[in-house]
Amino acid sequence: MALLFGVVACSATSTTTTSSSAFDGTVLEPPQAKPEFVLTDTQGQPYDFQAETTGKLTLLYFGYTFCPDICPVQLAQLAAVMDRLPDVERNSVVVFVTVDPDRDTPQVIRSFLDKFDTKFVGLSGTVDQVEAAQRAAGVPVAVKIGDGADYSMGHASQVIAYAPDGLAYTQYPYGTRQTQWVHDLPIILDRS
Amino acid sequence: MKLWCAALNKPWSWHWIAYPGVWFIVLLPTLIYLVAIRRHRDTDRKTIWTFLTAMILFWLSSDWPVGTLGAGYLASVHMLEYVLYTLGVAPLMLLGTPEWMARRVLGRLHLTGVQEWLSQHLFVSGLIFNIVLVITHSPIGVDTLRSSQLGSFAMDMSWLASGIILWLPILNPIREQRTHSFAAKMVYLFVSAGIVPIVPASFLTFASYPLYSTYELAPRVGSLTAVQDQQLAGITMKLGMVPVIWGALAVMFFRWAAQERVK
Repeated sequence: MALLFGVVACSATSTTTTSSSAFDGTVLEPPQAKPEFVLTDTQGQPYDFQAETTGKLTLLYFGYTFCPDICPVQLAQLAAVMDRLPDVERNSVVVFVTVDPDRDTPQVIRSFLDKFDTKFVGLSGTVDQVEAAQRAAGVPVAVKIGDGADYSMGHASQVIAYAPDGLAYTQYPYGTRQTQWVHDLPIILDRS
Repeated sequence: MKLWCAALNKPWSWHWIAYPGVWFIVLLPTLIYLVAIRRHRDTDRKTIWTFLTAMILFWLSSDWPVGTLGAGYLASVHMLEYVLYTLGVAPLMLLGTPEWMARRVLGRLHLTGVQEWLSQHLFVSGLIFNIVLVITHSPIGVDTLRSSQLGSFAMDMSWLASGIILWLPILNPIREQRTHSFAAKMVYLFVSAGIVPIVPASFLTFASYPLYSTYELAPRVGSLTAVQDQQLAGITMKLGMVPVIWGALAVMFFRWAAQERVK
């Protein structure tokens, strides 16, 4: 469901085009500015997204820890790619924002992210705050699917890549291969 | 209803999945075999049990969980399936087929000439085996075929057919059609299944990135990364073949030596 939603979300964004440029990812025309929002990190401290990530390659992803398919794959791909690109890893930050703050406590998020990479930043907040963050980033707001404790979330599946100059030139839907990431990230890092 | 194991695009779970297509493909030849054997009572028990072992191995390799894991989650299990089909099921099927049955089945299917020709042309048999190996382990082959039940079925059947073709010159149930030269058989098996497969296996073992999107983008099973899983697949291809191929070579060598002593 998240996959379907993500595909629809990506295709519904009229400003995206498939790259014929230097990028393997989906090119954003025009580039998008880095959003402003303040959420809470897994240490319980306020995290000003724009201030904390200034001058760094920033990979922003909205997901949830109970996600059965898309989120673990996207994060595993990012972790694998960061392992291969130490220069990129030193100058970048991966930010995971939960779209399911009711279940994703800071501890739950930290435990989830540590399975992939202990340096990944996890953020949460109130439902209103995370919805505002999604709107600010230009992705569709996640929706709850189902009732009871086992509900799932339909959410955007793309990772948005902000260059050190604060602009997102590309985004990466579910299905992006490691080779595509490895091709693009050094190019994005150079856009400072 | 799912008939054959294909990529599922959902998280792996130890929840059993029924694949009636697998049961049909395994049970139909088994029942036909048993009925035929009942009518032809002089078949020895060892031959019957060899065939039944082949069918049990065929079922275990094709059905949940091995078939499901191999079709959509782990390249290493995909490779294990390949090794079981080509080096387990195929030779056991040939060994478990009585000569009279082989003659009758091949005659009815009008395949007598084809299998005789393949048994005598070792280069062609080895080439077919390795062409199937390369196609069904190429990224485009795996990603295309594993995405559908029909494609996955075609892949599995091509493995079984290529395994039978590989072993025909050595284990042909019709004895006079086997290749008689031990040296030729040993060189053939060593090159076809011992040397050439090392090349694709090395690609898998030493590739820096996952080659197959099917397994790279599948929800992870256990703690293996996609690259580690792929390396394990390469090692399975390299080492999984060793005991069977070298075992067969050893048997042929000692039979050859015994034959020479008699002379």
